[in-house]
Amino acid sequence: MAKELVLQKVGKRYFLPSEADGLKVLEDISFEVEQGEIIAILGPSGCGKSTLLNIVAGFEKQDSGRVLFMGEPICAPSPQRGVVFQSAVLFPWLTVYQNVAYGLKLQKRDINNIKKKCGEFIKLADLEGFENYYPDQLSGGMQQRVALARVLVLEPRVLLMDEPFAALDAQTRTAMQQLLLSITEKISSTILFVTHDVEEALILADKVFVMSRRPGRITRELIVPYSRPRALTLTGSADFSKMKNEIMGFLFDL
Amino acid sequence: MKKKGHSIDPLGFVLPLVFLIVWYSATAGGRVPSYLLPGPERFLRSFVDFAAGTAHLSPYSGTLMGNLTASCIRVFCGFGIAAFFGLVLGFLTGRIGLIKRFLEPTVNLIRAVPGIGWLPIAMVWFGVGEKTTVFLIALAAFFPIYINAAHGATEVPLLLIRAGRMLGANKIELCKSVILPSAIPSVVVGLRLGLGVSWAYLVLGELTGVSKGLGAVMMDSRMLGQIELIPVTMVCIAVLGKLTDMLLLYFYGMIYPYPAGGVK
Repeated sequence: MAKELVLQKVGKRYFLPSEADGLKVLEDISFEVEQGEIIAILGPSGCGKSTLLNIVAGFEKQDSGRVLFMGEPICAPSPQRGVVFQSAVLFPWLTVYQNVAYGLKLQKRDINNIKKKCGEFIKLADLEGFENYYPDQLSGGMQQRVALARVLVLEPRVLLMDEPFAALDAQTRTAMQQLLLSITEKISSTILFVTHDVEEALILADKVFVMSRRPGRITRELIVPYSRPRALTLTGSADFSKMKNEIMGFLFDL
Repeated sequence: MKKKGHSIDPLGFVLPLVFLIVWYSATAGGRVPSYLLPGPERFLRSFVDFAAGTAHLSPYSGTLMGNLTASCIRVFCGFGIAAFFGLVLGFLTGRIGLIKRFLEPTVNLIRAVPGIGWLPIAMVWFGVGEKTTVFLIALAAFFPIYINAAHGATEVPLLLIRAGRMLGANKIELCKSVILPSAIPSVVVGLRLGLGVSWAYLVLGELTGVSKGLGAVMMDSRMLGQIELIPVTMVCIAVLGKLTDMLLLYFYGMIYPYPAGGVK
């Protein structure tokens, strides 16, 4: 079975007037993701983790190395690699329902099919009753739930999330992590998410890749030993804290 | 955040009320002679006569609708031309760099000449009357529409475009479903400005000598000594300007029921 995602020696530079050779943002990134795996990319600010996600999403192109999705090089964004951004980026002129239905409408599905699927995922994202609300009438957490629903409704093979809960307050963040955990039990999607929150990485992911400061390299690969389904109460256990401290050590040493 | 308010703010009526009182008291005792400024009752009588023609006070009795229609047609023609070219060229300029480099210098050059400055050459080209008026209106209204359309088309947030592409939109679908709606608030600002300017240049154009029109009545009545008709026609134009603006906003509300930011 072909790996879902393969990155081989991926590098990226940004060309700025001040830097003669360009600012090296990513260097020699190589890893593989199997179908159904949930991977967290952990790193300090500015290490290039968002750039990495943009490359996998198809928004940016790497300067060196290869990025393969199901064996094929990535050249453009696609609903098969759905993205949840750090801010919800919903279409402000559409209601919750219309935002969720947007991708399905582009695929020219039958209207009853669209209604049914949207209803399903609006319920999954705990947004029932808010179908006719506009994004600016919703809280940050609710907007992110819409962002999640509109991507999941298209049944992507890979879900890419760029610090999706960073902009939320602590309580909402915990609720969203819980929501994501329960969603991953129902929908077996491959997930690649970027975060700077060590706890979040440990509680949600199967594997954690730790990135160094700029130029970003993957310095550590950790397998998270907890079986699924997971409960958020794990964060209280002793070995969880031990792993967390270990990773924090890696992060601060770099 | 307030939703569309249907309650009318009483504070807005204070100044008009003060103005009415000052107007009445200034003209009542003859302090301000009626050949300079007619009082409110004379104004009202003139207005009614202009509309219905019952009192035969002036050569214009009962001709309100005829003149109004003539003026409206000119405004709609001129505004329509300006809107068409302004929106199309504005959008293209906003999205395609090559077109921007091509058009911008020329457009800015033409814009540098104030609308009034085009009056003499317009009269040479089009003679007096209809065509000159429509030309002036179209020329003046074009610029705010063009500039705001270009601005709206350029300022579409990159993330929205990325979201659209990620969700599966091709270039055309992206234009229709992301760029256009995102640009509409700016476009409407441009259209409103253009419409306001259209009514302003209507009077200028009609000065050149049209047979029917509110602006024409405004200027001719001065020469005929029918002073009351000047404020009457001014009020007509103001009301029409306001009504057409409300119409524009109504159509905006239909396409874009709850604009970003929640404020209309």
